[in-house]
Amino acid sequence: MRIKHTLQLFTILILSLVLVACGNESTSDETGEGNGERKEEQTGGTLDVAYASEPDTLDIMGNASSPTRDIAWHIFETLVALDKDFAVKPMIAEDYSISDDQKVYTVNIREDVKFHDGSTVTAEDVLASLERWRLVSSVGKTASENIEEAIVVDDLTVEITLNQVYNGFLDDIAAPKTGLAIIPKEIAEEAGEKPLTPDQLIGTGPYQFENWERGKEIVLTKFDEYSQREEDWGGLTGKKEAILDQINFLIVKDPQVKLNGLKTDLYDYAQNIPTDLYEAIEATPNTNPVTYINGYSMLIPDKSEPPFDDLKVRQALNYALDKEEIAQSTYGNEEFYEMDGALFDPTQTELYSAEATDSYLATDKEKAKELLAESDYNGESVTIMYSNNNEAYKRISQVVQQQLEEVGFVVELEPYEWATYLEKWQDARNWDIVTIGYSTRFSPNELGFLVQDTGSSGWYNSERWSELMKKWGVATTSEERQEILTEMNQTVSEELPFLKVANETTLDIMSDEIQEYDAWIGPRFWNTRKN
Amino acid sequence: MLHYTMRRILAMIPVLFIVSVIVFMIVHLTPGNPAFLILGEDSSPEAVEQLEQQLGLDQPKVIQYFDWLKNIFIGDLGQSIYSEESVTQIISERIGPTFSLMIISILLTLIIAIPIAIFIVWKRNTFLDPLFLSGSLLGTSIPEFWLALLLVLGFGVSIPIFPVAGYIPLTDGFLSWIHHLLLPSIVLAAVEVGLIARMLRDSMLESVNQDYTKTARGKGVKERKVLMKHVFSNALIPTTTVVGVTIAGLLGGTVIIETIFTIPGIGQLLIDSIHRRDYPVIQGVILFIAFIYVLINLLVDLLYAFLDPRIRYD
Repeated sequence: MRIKHTLQLFTILILSLVLVACGNESTSDETGEGNGERKEEQTGGTLDVAYASEPDTLDIMGNASSPTRDIAWHIFETLVALDKDFAVKPMIAEDYSISDDQKVYTVNIREDVKFHDGSTVTAEDVLASLERWRLVSSVGKTASENIEEAIVVDDLTVEITLNQVYNGFLDDIAAPKTGLAIIPKEIAEEAGEKPLTPDQLIGTGPYQFENWERGKEIVLTKFDEYSQREEDWGGLTGKKEAILDQINFLIVKDPQVKLNGLKTDLYDYAQNIPTDLYEAIEATPNTNPVTYINGYSMLIPDKSEPPFDDLKVRQALNYALDKEEIAQSTYGNEEFYEMDGALFDPTQTELYSAEATDSYLATDKEKAKELLAESDYNGESVTIMYSNNNEAYKRISQVVQQQLEEVGFVVELEPYEWATYLEKWQDARNWDIVTIGYSTRFSPNELGFLVQDTGSSGWYNSERWSELMKKWGVATTSEERQEILTEMNQTVSEELPFLKVANETTLDIMSDEIQEYDAWIGPRFWNTRKN
Repeated sequence: MLHYTMRRILAMIPVLFIVSVIVFMIVHLTPGNPAFLILGEDSSPEAVEQLEQQLGLDQPKVIQYFDWLKNIFIGDLGQSIYSEESVTQIISERIGPTFSLMIISILLTLIIAIPIAIFIVWKRNTFLDPLFLSGSLLGTSIPEFWLALLLVLGFGVSIPIFPVAGYIPLTDGFLSWIHHLLLPSIVLAAVEVGLIARMLRDSMLESVNQDYTKTARGKGVKERKVLMKHVFSNALIPTTTVVGVTIAGLLGGTVIIETIFTIPGIGQLLIDSIHRRDYPVIQGVILFIAFIYVLINLLVDLLYAFLDPRIRYD
């Protein structure tokens, strides 16, 4: 008898499961209607963003990773910020002036700029933020060496005096990664060198931090008291209107899930899609690809040890490589790479110089063999190390291996997962060449792969480069800067501290419900509408 | 019975101790350093050293291990290197989705496997039996990730009945909770159904022709009742073992399924922590999983005694 009951129970359970499945079909229909209503309002709504990797922290001052930047730049703002052409424009500052000797910067803060906790930005807050920035930011540490003192003139005016002429100062405080974000004084002092905790995430941006459920989502909501600028400058400044009520950054790692989620309206925007899927996306209705520049890929030889401490071997390396072939077989679609030997992207008009990049595409296998014969290289194994979390680095390394072996190098590939890679990178004994990419940078100071005598630059030591960096600091006019940039290209071209492969373009996808979206260099959702 | 239970509980301690040693060693012998990860690619050696000090990573490994062990006894698994939340707190936040997934899939498994097995034993001499055997073999052989992708494509994208990813907690409504979990649970269940149904069928077939079943039939008891009362209840012991192992194994299976369906559970937490070298979290999660595993085995053993008086009286 009992068993009979059990069987009946099973049947009921199965039936109820089926009912549940059907019942939910109608619930999702209702949400569909909800979206329809929003269509008429044109403002408000929630944006669901499938974001590929969870940031470790949202402390934009201290952490230079892209996930931190992409989410935190909705929350925090800087005194001055980059516009869409990468020029420095005021943001929290009303305006600024530079003294005739170029050492004293006087910054006037806009009136009534509100923090998310309701307080108003004052000169004290700016000063405290500056002090913290000098401690925690890699850019801030460099700038710090040039700062003599910073004082409060009045409630809304700060005066920063430099100990020498250093024209990179404004670029440094405006850096999209680890720039001088303004936070309330108490928080800046309380946090000190430690990363900001979630309840310390108080900025002045159009969106405020609401909630972070680790492993699942980061929620930002519209900041009602946001003090908006009106200029149409783009980038990270000018008019930044919070039209959407809420932005959910959902952590979604699998690209196929992102694509499926976008197709089924689960997400409105999905970040970091493998470029292989480009054609599939173009063929999908209601889905649009979004592309933007994302720095470039490169090979960095270890210049502290044989064989690549010898310039001849580095030249042989450069002549041995057919970069067009490497890029073609790595990125495939021409939409996603560009062959350009400059240090900066062509869209960065103030920083771009195409002069003196002759060695970039100088393929000559015979010359490579000759140089190799002249050098001390005698067939020892060359280790190319890369991180296997990125498909592009893997493919580049494989093609490079093949091309180098053609001219007589003996090459070994060593892939590691990212954490192991980072540790191995700092010890010259582990590698001879690394394959890596650097995201778009906005000043020569930020080129981490050229910072003297560090693991990241493969222990690059060059008086010539250091001189140029000093000159860059004191250059005032556009023409002077262009000249220095050309000399920088020349130096890189001759000394070969790193070998650029190709400019990279990143692919995101968005639903066609998103309106007026401007890609720039990463996902930013102010001034963005959703139907 | 009490003595038996106590003995079994005490036996858990050495197992967990050994697990703790192994976990600590594997985690700390893996190359990679959280300080490099936190500071990023352009970090200076001084900053790395300073952070290591701050995180206590400069201490000798043995001291780190005993510090950790000492704190476990007072219920403190340490705190995450990244979020500075306590590990117990983090695990308790992430256990909900994983348990939900496990409960639904094990219920699904039993609901499907038990009736099928009974039915097959009832029709044991027909063509259904070989059909069932190949079917169950197919079920256990299908790779989970493949079935998951296929189901998502079928019932998430082409016929959008189920969401392709995500998780809604039970507290936000039963219907959306189960709606989000049904597809991943089906994947997990599909693999287990074959195994459990097969196990149940085999054990039932063993007792179908035993003397006591023959006697029952001889008394004129109906075949249906014979199967349910005599055959099925005798087959429960070996099946319980398999179900126990299955539940424990589901913890492993959920790692893949949670990734595919972006369910923020223990499996995802573990993978993320490994990528970040968040030592306290990795150690805490693995120890927790080991604890659950041992606990389920204990419950299975105790359940034997309950199901079969012969074990109880030993």
